[in-house]
Amino acid sequence: MRVPYEDRFHELEPLLARVEKPSRYIDHEWGTMSKQEADYRACLIYPDTYEVGLPNQGIAILYHILNQQEGISCERGYVPWVDMADEMRAAGVPLLSLEGAAPVASFDVVGFHVPHEMACTNYLEAMDLAGIPFYSADRSEDDPIIIAGGPSVYNPEPLAPFFDAILIGEGEEAIVEVCREHQRLRDAGASRDEILRGLAAIPGTYVPALYDIRFDGDCTPHGYAVPSEGENVPPVVYKRVVKDFGATDPVSQSVIPYAQLVHDRLSVEVLRGCARGCRFCQAGITYRPVRERSADQIVSAVTRGLAETGYDEVSLTSLSTTDHSCCEQILSRLNRRLEDTGISVSIPSQRLDSFGVNMALQVAGEKKGGLTFAPEAGSQRMRDVINKGVTEDDLDRAVRAAFEAGWRRCKLYFMIGLPGERDEDIVAIAELADHVLELAREVVPKGQRGGISISISVSVFIPKASTPFQWCAQTPDEEVKRRQQLLLKSVKNRAVRVHYHDAETSLLEAVLSRAGRDMAPVIEGAWRRGARFDAWTEQFSLERWEQAASDCGIDLRAIAQTPYDLDAIMPWEHVSPGVSRGFLQREYRRALAGETTADCTRASCAGCGICPTLHVDNVLMGERS
Amino acid sequence: MSEQNIQPLFRLRVEYVKAGRLAYLGHLEVLHTIERIIRRASLPYAVTQGFSPHMRAGFSSALPVGTSSRSEWYDVFLTSLVPPAEALQRLQAASPEDLMATRCGYVDVRTPALTAQITRVLYRIELSFTDASAGCPDVSDALSEVIGLGRIPYARGKKNKVLDVDRMLVSHRVADGEGCIVLELDTRCDNEGALRPEILVAAIDRVLARRAVASDDDPIQSTGIQRFDRIARYRVERRAQLVEGEDGELIDPLCARS
Repeated sequence: MRVPYEDRFHELEPLLARVEKPSRYIDHEWGTMSKQEADYRACLIYPDTYEVGLPNQGIAILYHILNQQEGISCERGYVPWVDMADEMRAAGVPLLSLEGAAPVASFDVVGFHVPHEMACTNYLEAMDLAGIPFYSADRSEDDPIIIAGGPSVYNPEPLAPFFDAILIGEGEEAIVEVCREHQRLRDAGASRDEILRGLAAIPGTYVPALYDIRFDGDCTPHGYAVPSEGENVPPVVYKRVVKDFGATDPVSQSVIPYAQLVHDRLSVEVLRGCARGCRFCQAGITYRPVRERSADQIVSAVTRGLAETGYDEVSLTSLSTTDHSCCEQILSRLNRRLEDTGISVSIPSQRLDSFGVNMALQVAGEKKGGLTFAPEAGSQRMRDVINKGVTEDDLDRAVRAAFEAGWRRCKLYFMIGLPGERDEDIVAIAELADHVLELAREVVPKGQRGGISISISVSVFIPKASTPFQWCAQTPDEEVKRRQQLLLKSVKNRAVRVHYHDAETSLLEAVLSRAGRDMAPVIEGAWRRGARFDAWTEQFSLERWEQAASDCGIDLRAIAQTPYDLDAIMPWEHVSPGVSRGFLQREYRRALAGETTADCTRASCAGCGICPTLHVDNVLMGERS
Repeated sequence: MSEQNIQPLFRLRVEYVKAGRLAYLGHLEVLHTIERIIRRASLPYAVTQGFSPHMRAGFSSALPVGTSSRSEWYDVFLTSLVPPAEALQRLQAASPEDLMATRCGYVDVRTPALTAQITRVLYRIELSFTDASAGCPDVSDALSEVIGLGRIPYARGKKNKVLDVDRMLVSHRVADGEGCIVLELDTRCDNEGALRPEILVAAIDRVLARRAVASDDDPIQSTGIQRFDRIARYRVERRAQLVEGEDGELIDPLCARS
């Protein structure tokens, strides 16, 4: 029998006294929408702590949409931090939803958000606390249907056996279809297998149990997935794109947390998609086409959202907000409206040109914190390889404008280990940072030069599915460490601070990005050895992963560091954001030749194939500058 | 600045509760939530001038995590007068049940800050014993013993402090409650400090457990939520925060002038 849906907060309450940040677990926030009485119950779980998960817009959107459905109640869940998880295990308290404080195992459907690769052990941590079997194949008729979705599903294979269904692409419409179909089949007395087949018929829904992994022909060592014999499921599951983005509600947040979060503000998604075409960037492919909301819709959404939530900051979110064709108009209208309220507007990152700095100036007001730019590579040659359409001149102008306008702190993002990278490209990062510092000293008046701060943050390139670099190997971790040291040595000026990402975490991220279904037992093994919250540096240990991999006869470094053949079938080709293989291959070749490709929202179509394949189009509100 | 001098301001004083699960909120979490409630209520709040403008509001002293209250206070400066009944109704419509505004009214803008005005705090504490071995007389005797000590050393973080019971405890009462023993305290608070009820409870627990109240190796810790030897569970509730008048009379903060 299924665990009954009932409030068990009284079991959790005595534990609150023993854990840090009890407000993570108490619920009762302003704006929760779930219903006490409902025919069908969903619990959406973010695979990290409350304060990391609460600001997530994806969950907020789906929570809102599901609760608007008649008869459906949607609650939220998060993964208890290690102290609370241990207390709960000791006290025999299962994982509870937030609103109803009901066992997660009592819901009809449990949906996990898939934000990035490093969350993988937390799905198991949550399922273990909830008392739900890890593998789809081991679940019984009484267990909830476990679904997943989010930005990091474009190589679903390492996680595939853990989920009953994975929703590919935008979930606004798909999640309602999945829940309604499940409800209908449940009421008709369908078995679990019948339900899974029913869900697989909904466009964009990948049901891993209905596919076999084959190793014949031209493929990687991880094989490729094909519909199991006799199963009427699509050979390629294409991502969903919401029918009319402009018709969706731009105010997705309703729940206002008590706990103070890193991103504690109203978020309004002003546009979706980015067509700049950076060749390492997965989001740049998977969020296409580009769709802008109108300036009127954005301004009225901000006003309404602030009134409903009471926040004192609003962030205009997207992959590239300053690319919005009406950006300038939107910011000036908002500034007028929010004058004398103490409410501020923010935009997540700056475009690397003087327009970007002007826009930053519009929202900064008196308080100028730091400005963040992402040149991504130090040399022009390397920036052309990755198709980062930024020249040295752009950068010079942007930095000069920023320091003239009064900013004193500047942060630059770079990536190392990129395909074709040479030592001179690493040295170029250091030279660029030194150059920015010199520019700053030139522009900033003498008495204020002490306040100048330049920092560079250097991540490690990770080859991601459905990008032009999907065939590339990751640079070996020992070599990454050497290049990091080379960078440190090459930065001449001690006023430039250098931060770089952990090579070992990046190694595992590459493994999880490139492997196939063979990785699932390794994830389980790592969890059994204590891995959880791997995205938290202090919790991560590569050793656990190496042991778990060796138990399964798998070499992590071989997976990350062996390139794939350009003609091989990839382990993830049965799920697709609609991009054509030919486009990715062409872009890869152009990268090696140092040729750039233009942004299709500013120039002609680059032929990525997404619009014709998915029957969608870019939607712009004006000319982009 | 000049603008601020010309603009008339109104100082709305609001009483609210901290109840139920929300007793587990920290002080800063409460502050930010109240600010959001004020913005949701669309009260015409005043904003500080300068580098980083923020709402002009002031709060009564912090309540430890886990402690509930029937009477918390804040002052918010408004740029126009909203009738108190309407302000209260708007705040209530924007408040979660467990942080509900209960009363409000205007006080003179020159009134001292709440933390300076409030000098008397009343508490009600429920003590539960699993074994029912300690009764009302035991707790009463233990409390008398603690009061007899006069001063209780304790640690707050890494700092060593002393609670001056003689000065800070005005009166007390011990009575039987439903399945618990009820302790009522009338305490003082001022610039020198306040009586934190959990320290008194910890001292009572040590007396009942026949342990030394003062211990250099293992001092009483001041935190809102503690685990004890004899007391299985306890609940602390602030019942009232009052202003002590010149003749020792107790005045409601809504009516206090100085």
